Amino acid sequence: MKLNYRYTLAYAVLTFFVLSIGFAIVYAALSRSVTRATIGKLEHLNEVVASQLRSGRDYAGDSSRTNVLVVPLAAPDTARRTRTVRVRDEWDAALQARVAMVRLTTYPVAGGRAYRVTSRAAVVEPSDVYLTGLVLVFAWTFVFLLALVVILSELISWRILRPFNATLRGIQQFEPSQPSAISLAPSHTAEFNELNEFLVKMTARAQSDYRGLKEFSENASHELQTPIASIKAKLELLIDSDLTEAQLRTLTTMHDELERLAKINQALTLLAKLEHFEPGPNALADLSQLVPATEATFADLAEMKDLTTTLAIAPGVRVPLDASLAQLLLNNLFSNAIRHNLPGGQLRVQLSATELLLENTGHAPSAPVGELFGRFKKGNAQLDSIGIGLAIVKRISELYGHRISYDYADGWHRLRVAFAPAIL
Amino acid sequence: MKILLVEDHAELARSIAGYLGQEHYICEVAGTFDEAREKLALFSYDVVLLDIMLPDGNGINLLKLLRKEGVESSVIIISAQNALDFKLTGLSEGADDYITKPFPLPELHARIKAIMRRRSTHKNNVLTFQDITADLESMECRVKGKLLNLTRKETNLLLYFINNKGRMLTRQAIAAHLWGDYTDNLDSVDFVYQHVKNLRKKITDAGGKDYISTVYGFGYKLSAPNQ
Repeated sequence: MKLNYRYTLAYAVLTFFVLSIGFAIVYAALSRSVTRATIGKLEHLNEVVASQLRSGRDYAGDSSRTNVLVVPLAAPDTARRTRTVRVRDEWDAALQARVAMVRLTTYPVAGGRAYRVTSRAAVVEPSDVYLTGLVLVFAWTFVFLLALVVILSELISWRILRPFNATLRGIQQFEPSQPSAISLAPSHTAEFNELNEFLVKMTARAQSDYRGLKEFSENASHELQTPIASIKAKLELLIDSDLTEAQLRTLTTMHDELERLAKINQALTLLAKLEHFEPGPNALADLSQLVPATEATFADLAEMKDLTTTLAIAPGVRVPLDASLAQLLLNNLFSNAIRHNLPGGQLRVQLSATELLLENTGHAPSAPVGELFGRFKKGNAQLDSIGIGLAIVKRISELYGHRISYDYADGWHRLRVAFAPAIL
Repeated sequence: MKILLVEDHAELARSIAGYLGQEHYICEVAGTFDEAREKLALFSYDVVLLDIMLPDGNGINLLKLLRKEGVESSVIIISAQNALDFKLTGLSEGADDYITKPFPLPELHARIKAIMRRRSTHKNNVLTFQDITADLESMECRVKGKLLNLTRKETNLLLYFINNKGRMLTRQAIAAHLWGDYTDNLDSVDFVYQHVKNLRKKITDAGGKDYISTVYGFGYKLSAPNQ
């Protein structure tokens, strides 16, 4: 949810509560003042009746007495009796409805006699008439406020958050491998400027770390390969000289270990290279041609293991992939499929417009199949491989957005490369 | 045949120069960019073996300089760069070949021979070892005049043996020569055994002597019986 939507929503909830409370206060105040006004009128009426009593004339049929009940009291104990007000819902015959009835009782003394004067009047409660009006007023206020807030929040956030959105876009486009520093426009908001400063610092550090790592992996390649080459050359020269069998054996072991070290170093620097490799936009590899060609290269290896190879190649399959990386990928896939095969086993290769599928017979893998894409993971510990081939295959596939999956079922290993949809 | 080796790692340079000396090349060593440039200006070489990372410059720049000045030497780049660098970036542009460190010395020797053969004007394209001949043009191999029916890999293997006759060839060196260095296929050395076995059988079947000897656990050697 966008930032200004969240603000608007929070404001709407707040407004709703404030307006609800406001509504309750207005309702209560209105209801109270209507009752008070009625009581005021009745007080006046009771005053009028009291002065009528004091005048001594008979007002029994007077229109002022319609809602007034005058009861003479036996004893003038006025000290005890004060006026009372009672509000109660009751049936009103004149209105033919139940209404809130206010009764005011006073105890005037006229001509030495005490009287109880009770007047009554119906109160029109707000709940009856005003409620709908009130609700409408508040609802409309709410709607107008909300509309105003929505429009204003769009306008204001567009203005205030403009530098922030620009910064966001800047970060989204940032790549540690890009040569230039990130550029963020200055803003009038102190916090955004602080954020930008921080981001510029962080991205600069990310870039320098990235460059450092890249340089390191490149240098490591050079710095390790040369001494290895030197040792290897010396060993080869030494092996070619006159040696006893025991010496030759020792040197051979050393040579094999060195060979292994060199292979690992090469594979790791190759992976480092692939980590930093930026695929070109227009690279296309013609797999319909490359797959059979690779199969032919490995044919002798397959033949020595007595493998039966079946190829099903769709014509004209061209996928985004650098040609030499495609070759590297296929080499690793084929050599794996042959190496991990059983003597006299099978190898099936299917290439369609959407995927490349390699199936080979073989022993069940000893590790979970998903882990085999990691470095130095081997499905079969007996084989003298370094277990980095699939990591390379995975990295190459990822570079171009192809998805690779591996599963094992019923004695068959299946490696599937699902091609990324071509961008036309 | 004169070779200039441009390599800043002194011990590696000494080993390579020593090996090439045994193969009857005249090999001079330059440890820096400037030294190499000076030697190239003063003398002419058939082949320049060029390391890319030099303490005072880049070997690629030296290569460009050579080509600009019209120096005719063949150039083989010897580099610790990954093979992929060459393929992806065209790093070896202008060079005749490249080889990545670490490499078996016989492989370097085979590459030099291949380049020299391509350059040579007189078409002596037949390699001979004892009673084995190999025509590099038609890729036909014969034993005592009798044509051998070899696969491409076996032909390749035989040529590698003849080019490095009398030398111990490791299984790994043979594997790298036959299959390239792109796979982490260390057990391809088992396949080397098969190929060598087949090749020996085909030669002896054709009436040739078994010149290939096995050095147990290590590799093979092509040598005349009296050696």
